[in-house]
Amino acid sequence: MSEQAEKKYAAYICTGCGIGDRLDAGELEQTASRDGRMNVVKQHEMLCSQDGVQMIRNDIDKEGVNHAVIVGCSRRAKVEAFAFNDIAMTRCNIREGVIWARPDTEEAKETTQEMANDYIRMSCAEIKQMNKPSPSGQQGRNPNVLVVGGGITGMTAAIEAAEAGYSVHLVEKSSALGGHVARLHKRVPFKAAPVGTPNSPDANLPMPEDTGIGDIIAAVEGNDNIKVYLNSTVTKTSGAPGRFSVDISTESGDTITENIGSIVQATGFKLYDPENLPEFNYAGSPDIITNLELEELANAAGDGPIKRPSDGKEVTSVLFVQDVGQNSSDEGRLPYDSGIGDLVSIKQALYFKHHNGDGCDATICYDNLRTPGAPGEDFYRSGQRNGVIFTKSEVKEVVPGDSITVKMHDKILDEDAEVKVDLVVLDLGMVPNSGPDPYAANEALEGMSDEDRAEELEAQEAHAADETSVKVESILNLDYRQGTDLPHLKHGFTDSHFICFPYETRRTGIYAAGPVRRPMDMKQAMDDATGAAMKAIQEIENAAQGRAAHPRVGDLSYPTFRKEGCTQCKRCTVECPFGAIDEDEERYPQYNEARCRRCGTCMGACPVRVISFENYSVNTVGAQIKECDIPEEWDEKPRILVLACENDAYPALDQAAISGEEISPWARVIPVRCLGSTSLSWVTDALNNGFDGIIMMGCKRGDDYQCHFVRGSTMAAERMAKVGDTLETLNLEPERVVVHEVAITDIERAPALIKEMEETIEKVGLSPFKF
Amino acid sequence: MTEVVATNQTILVVGGGISGMTAALEAAETGAQVVLVEKRPYLGGRVSQLYKYFPKLCHPTCGLEINQRRAKMNPNLTIVTGAEVSKLEGEAGNYTATVKLSPTYVNDNCTACGECAKAVEAEFDDEYNYGLSKRKGAYLPHVMAHPMKYVLDPAIIGTDDAQKAKDACKYDAIDLDDKEKEIQFPVGAVVWATGWKPYDAAKIQPYGYDRFANVVTNVEFERMADPKGPTGGKILRPSDGKEAKNVAFIQCAGSRDRNHLYHCSRICCMASLKQTHYVVDAYGDDAQVSIYYIDIRAIDRFEDFYAEVRAMDNVKFIKSKVASITRGENDNPCLNGVDTEGYHRYATEHDLVVLATGMEPSVSVDSFPVDVEINREGFIEPAEKNGGVFAAGCASDALDVNRAVQSATGAALKAIQVVNRVARAEG
Amino acid sequence: MSELNKAMIEQYRNSFLSEVEANVEEGEWVKMCMQCGVCSGSCPLGKHWAHPPQEIFMMIRAGKREEVLTSDSMWMCTSCYNCIVRCPRQLPITHIMHGLATYAKKLGLTPKNQPTAKFAEIFWNNMMKKGRVNELKLGLSLYFKDGFGPGIKEALRNKDLGMKMMKAKRMAAGEFFGGHGVKDVSGLQKMIKKAQELEDARMKKFDEPEASQDG
Repeated sequence: MSEQAEKKYAAYICTGCGIGDRLDAGELEQTASRDGRMNVVKQHEMLCSQDGVQMIRNDIDKEGVNHAVIVGCSRRAKVEAFAFNDIAMTRCNIREGVIWARPDTEEAKETTQEMANDYIRMSCAEIKQMNKPSPSGQQGRNPNVLVVGGGITGMTAAIEAAEAGYSVHLVEKSSALGGHVARLHKRVPFKAAPVGTPNSPDANLPMPEDTGIGDIIAAVEGNDNIKVYLNSTVTKTSGAPGRFSVDISTESGDTITENIGSIVQATGFKLYDPENLPEFNYAGSPDIITNLELEELANAAGDGPIKRPSDGKEVTSVLFVQDVGQNSSDEGRLPYDSGIGDLVSIKQALYFKHHNGDGCDATICYDNLRTPGAPGEDFYRSGQRNGVIFTKSEVKEVVPGDSITVKMHDKILDEDAEVKVDLVVLDLGMVPNSGPDPYAANEALEGMSDEDRAEELEAQEAHAADETSVKVESILNLDYRQGTDLPHLKHGFTDSHFICFPYETRRTGIYAAGPVRRPMDMKQAMDDATGAAMKAIQEIENAAQGRAAHPRVGDLSYPTFRKEGCTQCKRCTVECPFGAIDEDEERYPQYNEARCRRCGTCMGACPVRVISFENYSVNTVGAQIKECDIPEEWDEKPRILVLACENDAYPALDQAAISGEEISPWARVIPVRCLGSTSLSWVTDALNNGFDGIIMMGCKRGDDYQCHFVRGSTMAAERMAKVGDTLETLNLEPERVVVHEVAITDIERAPALIKEMEETIEKVGLSPFKF
Repeated sequence: MTEVVATNQTILVVGGGISGMTAALEAAETGAQVVLVEKRPYLGGRVSQLYKYFPKLCHPTCGLEINQRRAKMNPNLTIVTGAEVSKLEGEAGNYTATVKLSPTYVNDNCTACGECAKAVEAEFDDEYNYGLSKRKGAYLPHVMAHPMKYVLDPAIIGTDDAQKAKDACKYDAIDLDDKEKEIQFPVGAVVWATGWKPYDAAKIQPYGYDRFANVVTNVEFERMADPKGPTGGKILRPSDGKEAKNVAFIQCAGSRDRNHLYHCSRICCMASLKQTHYVVDAYGDDAQVSIYYIDIRAIDRFEDFYAEVRAMDNVKFIKSKVASITRGENDNPCLNGVDTEGYHRYATEHDLVVLATGMEPSVSVDSFPVDVEINREGFIEPAEKNGGVFAAGCASDALDVNRAVQSATGAALKAIQVVNRVARAEG
Repeated sequence: MSELNKAMIEQYRNSFLSEVEANVEEGEWVKMCMQCGVCSGSCPLGKHWAHPPQEIFMMIRAGKREEVLTSDSMWMCTSCYNCIVRCPRQLPITHIMHGLATYAKKLGLTPKNQPTAKFAEIFWNNMMKKGRVNELKLGLSLYFKDGFGPGIKEALRNKDLGMKMMKAKRMAAGEFFGGHGVKDVSGLQKMIKKAQELEDARMKKFDEPEASQDG
């Protein structure tokens, strides 16, 4: 199809699945051609059949149809059959959306037909505003992965990406590869007991293993596809996936600029500072040490016994205090548990059994022992088998002295006890080495109006410029409008949808791996690195084709704006949940296609409605609202506009229909990419058009957000909080417009919410704007 | 049935649960050709039967919706349901997979209109609800099933119901003569993601799962909490349908136990904390929850989830492996044991007891169709000898969803490395 | 008090645990306990225990030598094996309890008048005389262990049982005079004596820490 090709619109109406029985198909056809002004309108008794699909295919190939409305089942059904990716297409849902949502009664016949007619009008209006999306070509295929951090995570990511045929630039701040693992004496075993291992006292259970770090470093250094930069940091990252430009600067001041496709951030962790824990007296004795210091003692011991730092005496007793400074609600302590400390202490206790002999007492004071999985529980057994003593207890105080005194409460014996030992090891928590959180300071912005928000941000920027206080050093130095580094989720960990989609950060093409994402041990970090490398190479391929990343995977549409209309208000640059939008020299927004996740939050934010996607815009939805037939007031048929998140609320309504729940005949549901994309003008238009009520259904917002675009539903809720003003100007009741958090499981609740609006309208009366 | 077109650059993913789906999608979205083989008639596996995830208390179907949309849209991915890999021969870069296809009796013409279900009469235990409810012999496995097709229970084949179903279908979607088939195709690498099954609670004799109606498992409890589940989301006692307000959770029911599973199943502590929310959400101040545990293993950084539950006035934690359950008054299960924190004996009655049963690998140690390294618990360990077969998710260890997805994403890369090598070698 | 009994035990150090591992039957399993408490809850006599098995294991680890060995808890075990069957770590708890009891007895730490201990002693002496248990004498010794008066009362209380045993030929009045035995009683006694010597020699002494270290 050439760019100039004439637009040819077609509507294909399926009469299968009872549509033809329940509805007057002739009327549907007439609606599409007369009201919808489609050039071609065809019916088929089973559109998803080979024959039906072929009919459409022929029209596209031979008749020049390039804009099509598929009238039949929901957009969630028969997706594979209607995969006409070479045209602009929309689905008009009159199966789940109409006939399955309405009772098959004589009484309901009229309103059901009206519903279907309306949806056809709406879809026909929508398709006229749509174009087939095509990528911008802003970036090509750049097969270079940047890995930041040369520890076990970074090195693994580098090797795994290189093994798949990609080039890697590995940047390490220190003078050597290896990170924490290089300092370890041994590692926690990776595997559980082999098949057939009996439960006998002499069974072979997993024991501490060599870390293998030497081989891994050698593998990195020997790999032609990996270029290592030691003593180096990333001093600037600009661009977008597929076309990142990264400045790598060495200590000596040299800077190399590399073109990068995607980034893995594997900057690891540091140990919590034990000086913050006075009760454990870390500073009070050289024989009270951290778990990392013990690794060094074990390394120093060579083949001989481990000696205590104070006087070089061979250690005959050691006590491990678990979870120090963790799981605490006290200010300055870690509210979480690193989760791996118990395995580490078992490993270390076994060092003593190995180096200092069975006669060396090793006691682990724990509260809840965390040795999960098959390898974990076997290692716990292994520790016990080899004579490590486990005591469920709370250590209250560690007192320095010739021997160290540990005061504790034994929880099993329910009594206080004092133990004297040669050495005490503190199991310290992991603190992520993440950069500064771009949104950390912005809690001040919550609940502010857009204007105030923009002002506050300006003020913060000005303030930051002359800030002299100590700041967390940036790792990526992103040259992004919304800050230099990956946003944090909780406690400094850079995370996002950590259950279903653990790799999705809020900066497209930049994947966090290892303990910077959540506390984890070496094995998990290596697994995690492999996954992050997978996402990194995937993003390279996606960016090359202009395809969106999660959750609108493969979407080729991207936002553009009409420059002459833009007022440079910055709302889009500020509200984009992914920091995708920068400002150019003239202070106009600059959309970076490959950073964009296509949620449309920018579009919803824009007060002057200049932002659009080729197949999704203020007009694609606005036209639907306008084309919806509003009955005269005396018909007493209200109209309720439902703007439903396509990921959760829309599927909930679909499933309601599949399960036989009724949906109000007055509802007209329009799926939106995210409630964040909702333009205030849709609300105004709908009210002006005579809609009696408007329901917006988005995902749960707040700390435990369920919004796939992280902040989309929050932004929508904030914007809609001000819709009262609009209603007031129109002299309408505020309860006509509501925002609900709707989950995909709200199969009964979603229709009930519409019913509720129906009742509200009954109470406050029909809209006076029907003409 | 979708035709399988494959080469030795194709990745075979065995299992269509969250891990298999993830591995298949990540690989397919990177450009690899993927064939996904799933035993059930639909994707999503065990997580599709969960009501909520910890710690966000969000819904698994939310992520499933996205993954299913990804699957529907991806032309690189071929999904074969009702299928099991029976043999895998060859080596990395050059395998031949033999796949057994169960007769489905329903073809792709199915529009999920539901007429067949209306036509049939016989009812069967609904496996989606772990047998807590009944379904027809022609049924949609669940409301989000993908592929969105009705399923005929093999038990109705040859009965009147089968003919009724066929007669009701207007789209020629039912083929009662469908037979079991075996197909073979080449693949370059394999992601093994066969997942887990709940440990058989009846084997834990002292807890009387098979004797007491009011002793249920955590997977069953998950269905009970779901508004679309067998009790309409109400937490009720199976014995008399009364509200179960005083609920006990028994941790490590089958896990960390040489009589059952040696391993810790990792997720059960968090799952019980999550299910505590279900009880408290349902009954507020009237709820009484007791959690009997050995160690509470709040994984990752999720300590706050534990702390939040611990802070609830109506939730008690008892450090004890319950010794036995006996029948109390009104069919109340009575829990007997010793609280080991200071030695306190108890014999406490509850309305309902939930056994936090562990996970065991779906495939038993001796029935792997491929020679891979397996540990004592039947999980696949990474090893040279596994060649181009990479374990993902709970086939590799007892994992939570987060880790399963991570593991699957990594396994996808391992598989891509193999097929990319093949591609380079073949130019 | 035996010489074996002078060990210096420090709290939460392994010396007592090591002693138990060396000297108590199946003692090497004690460290494998993960304090789940299923043994304590499974014991049918549980409520009579001052310290249930899992607590005893913890006390051993905590170095509470005196408290453990002088406790009468392990004397409560009736060998029902419920705990062994249920123990998730497969600890042979029944055997460990008997082992601890035997060890305590050997060290002379058994509480005075502990009835089970007393019974065990009576049983042993009874059997050692002829190599077979003399049910009549065993019963009588048991009844009269606390003196003549209580003995008569106890005997009368159990007279029906006694009569039944007579009828079933499980007990015979003639047994009062000598009773039946094995063929070579002195041979048996010699054998037992030798076994005792071997066992005593094997037993580690825990009064000299150095000695215990080489073991």
